[in-house]
Amino acid sequence: MSEINLHFQLPGNQKIDKFLAKISKKKDLQIASQQYSLKTFYDSFDWRLFNAGVLCELNQSKSDSRLTLVDLQSGQPIAAAEMDQAPRFAEEFADARLQSILAPLLKMRALLSLTSLSYQAYRINILNKDGKTTLRLLIEDYELLPARVYLQPIKGYDKTAKRISALLEKKLGLKMAKKPVIYAALELQGRKPADYSAKLAIQLDPKMRADLSCKYIYSHLLQAIKVNEAGTIDAIDSEFLHDFRVAVRRTRAGLSQLKRVLPAAVVGRNAEFFAWLGQISGPARDMDVYLLNFASYQHSLPEDMQGDLQPLYELIKVKQHQSHRELAAKLKSVEYIGKLQAWEDYLKESVVKRPAEADALLSIKQLADKRLWRVYRRVLNQGNAISDQTPPKALHRLRKTCKKLRYLMEFFQSLYPEKKIKRQIKALKELQDILGDFQDYQVQESTLKRFANEMMAEQTSADTLIAMGVLVQNLRQQRLRARQAFAGCFDKFKRPENQASFQALFSGKL
Amino acid sequence: MTVIAAYNIKGGVGKTSTAVNLAYCAAQQGHQTLIWDLDPQGASSYYFRIKAKVKGGGKSLVAGDRDLDALIKGTDFENLDMLPADFSFRNLDLRLDERKKPTRRLQKLLKPLREEYQLIFLDCPPNISLLSEAVFEAADILLSPVIPTSLSIRSLAQLKRFLEEHKLKNLKLMPFLSMADRRKKMHREVMAHLVEDYPELLETVIPCASDIERMGLERMPVAVFAGKSRASEAYRALWREVEQAIR
Repeated sequence: MSEINLHFQLPGNQKIDKFLAKISKKKDLQIASQQYSLKTFYDSFDWRLFNAGVLCELNQSKSDSRLTLVDLQSGQPIAAAEMDQAPRFAEEFADARLQSILAPLLKMRALLSLTSLSYQAYRINILNKDGKTTLRLLIEDYELLPARVYLQPIKGYDKTAKRISALLEKKLGLKMAKKPVIYAALELQGRKPADYSAKLAIQLDPKMRADLSCKYIYSHLLQAIKVNEAGTIDAIDSEFLHDFRVAVRRTRAGLSQLKRVLPAAVVGRNAEFFAWLGQISGPARDMDVYLLNFASYQHSLPEDMQGDLQPLYELIKVKQHQSHRELAAKLKSVEYIGKLQAWEDYLKESVVKRPAEADALLSIKQLADKRLWRVYRRVLNQGNAISDQTPPKALHRLRKTCKKLRYLMEFFQSLYPEKKIKRQIKALKELQDILGDFQDYQVQESTLKRFANEMMAEQTSADTLIAMGVLVQNLRQQRLRARQAFAGCFDKFKRPENQASFQALFSGKL
Repeated sequence: MTVIAAYNIKGGVGKTSTAVNLAYCAAQQGHQTLIWDLDPQGASSYYFRIKAKVKGGGKSLVAGDRDLDALIKGTDFENLDMLPADFSFRNLDLRLDERKKPTRRLQKLLKPLREEYQLIFLDCPPNISLLSEAVFEAADILLSPVIPTSLSIRSLAQLKRFLEEHKLKNLKLMPFLSMADRRKKMHREVMAHLVEDYPELLETVIPCASDIERMGLERMPVAVFAGKSRASEAYRALWREVEQAIR
């Protein structure tokens, strides 16, 4: 079936009536319905469905309102269910099949409406001599775009689909639609699909001046901060704040690691501003993380204790609301808006011809090599100094250094052979995961103890406090496991061939 | 996947309309449903306006030469597909007899459809034959329409005895009254006795209704052309009872 074209576009000037008249001369057809409809496309902010080859559309008419998942390539429906509006999160879908497709793709991300198209929807059945429907045609005659015709084959009647496809193309002069209608719909708004990704993709020219390149990198990060700001303020889903914070942290890493490139005063002022941003957005993110982890907290307990955790959920939920409200107020403050604007204005200014800073005139490749090699060596030194007896503080310090190295590698990845830099990022990531686990478990343990104290004052039932005790114990065991795994993981990271790869990549001198 | 066979030793008791209407009810609820027309007369194929013809006929079908999935046709209704009949099905008994373990054959053929369909309805020809035995092996539920006449009850007794003798423990027999006419004295009397003798009898009674006869003219399930009729309501109720048993 795959070789048949099932998705056509009508020439811009052709009317539907005329098209139907032409086709009815050749085939018995029945207009099953004709309705004014509104199509709204949905996806997560970071286009998770589109990236997985799925379109999500809600088609509403007077008599019917139905959400359909459509295969991006073929235009054929994958699953559908009647509903008046699209729920925000995958787990809120009542239809089991839709939920089973959407949940693994969307995870914690909310569905947002992207754009709408109004159109006349014609459902047409092509009949054989027994009056049996052997092919369905769906015609969408948009108000602002040329109409599209979708062939929906019926199992066991492939020949009809083939014949009608050929008829539309050869006799009726319809063109194969090259792209799904969402492209044209978004174009009406000056947008295109997948125009946001949380991944950094900065293209740098190795010979570019360091100061100019840094401004370019910071502008990228600023853009990420700005596009995630509204979703953070409205608390649409947890990932707006997450991406916002990542961009803030990356900016901070840049300001601290690429110091002698931009004027010290600018760096100092903004390092302080972004540190403040990191700090005010921390509590809200922490609560988001506890809620995202909540299901796994529950599952880690014996079944008869799982329900006892509910009061903890309620407490975190209250705290989450509160911290998000406080953060939203700060993100609407004059202080925040003014400082972010000043940073943007500075980034837009052209660079001075003869900068005073020592590294400003280096090529970005020189600077990248120098900094990456130095931070990499720091990771090795700090890691080597850690034994089984070393207190947790040293592991936290190492974790931060690893993060800095990771951010620098991501800023500069376009300067290095793609496969090689990706491999080294992956090696670093494995180490980061263990360090991250270790610290996260520790923070969670102490936070849960703090919550337990608060809840005790509120006279929470003993069952809940006992369940929390078991949870803390589980987290403690996980933390100890991560601590034990560190040595092996670091040994793997520092093995000679890996060191040689880093050295070759960053032209490092021993 | 649950396999439901509409079966009775006797002919003309409403097997086909049971299979067609219940399959439609199930599909309407969103269950992926297949109806397999095993009767060479092809009545259920006719009701769905699908030609009673299978490439290669019963012989290659039983031999497993053809992928069953490739023989399936979509009906005009959402979630409902059909494996049509073929006139050669009149010899299915012979074809089965040529195979090893003939009574397991149907079950084996249905296995690959497990993923795709939640429910499979078998519209069986009357008689008790090798094919019926294969149906008994493959089915989870034997849905048996019984007309309230003494002859029909005799065949129900025969069927029950057969199932007991052959120790078909996994097969659930669900008889129900079909084509019942409360205006007929004999129907009323037989119905009263039957409830006592057969506690497994379902509560729903499918009436003798002109709407069911009209299916042959309309060539579609009753609910499509007479959604609010007594007949269509009765099939919905029958489906609810069967569905409960599946759960």
